[in-house]
Amino acid sequence: MKVIIGLGMVLGLLVILPAVEHAFAAGSEVGEYLDRKVAIWGLFYRLMIIAFTVGTVVSGMIVWLVLRFRESNPKAKPTPYEASGDW
Amino acid sequence: MSGHSTWPEWVYVGVVIALLCYVGAEAWNIERIIEHVPEDAELIKVTGQQWLWTFEHEDGTKEIGELHLEKGKAYRFEITSKDVIHSFNIHEYTVLLDAVPGKINHVWFSPNVAGEFDIQCREYCGLIHYNMRGTLFVADTGA
Repeated sequence: MKVIIGLGMVLGLLVILPAVEHAFAAGSEVGEYLDRKVAIWGLFYRLMIIAFTVGTVVSGMIVWLVLRFRESNPKAKPTPYEASGDW
Repeated sequence: MSGHSTWPEWVYVGVVIALLCYVGAEAWNIERIIEHVPEDAELIKVTGQQWLWTFEHEDGTKEIGELHLEKGKAYRFEITSKDVIHSFNIHEYTVLLDAVPGKINHVWFSPNVAGEFDIQCREYCGLIHYNMRGTLFVADTGA
């Protein structure tokens, strides 16, 4: 339940914040125009931060899994299924 | 089933979903902001053809290979092509949109730096594509 509430809060923030930002952005007054260069490159940099963060976490997890659960690891032990020798 | 704790897996799934939602929402938001054309934007018709760019201002003034704008004003472009698909690109102002025969595409921007900037075709359009260039001249307002 806590996980669902926490997840809901995170998702809620992620949906609400961009909506609020949008409400206060894109001024259409004469002489006040959006700098599309800043907006587009800013988006690019934010998405790159996420992409590299996710890439690091996923590749790090794969490396850890491969090292931790290799047969030659001193801590390795067969699963109950493997230990039964029926396969 | 296995009896081990699954909370790290749920956190992992939650973080991934949250990041995907953020990426989608943020990209959608920026796209909406960028596509919001100011009401006082001046219209410029852009026509691509092998291998040059033609510009027509609201007052009927036409330019070939050169585009003269004023700093601080907003301009919206109606982009089309006479022959094959081109792509209208002003790199310095992050403007990039296809020029498609029989179709009018829209983009707008407001130059905020005076100077000379390259205009180029970014879609391979034939033998002289590499030289389908133009120059954007941005003058200080009132100059």
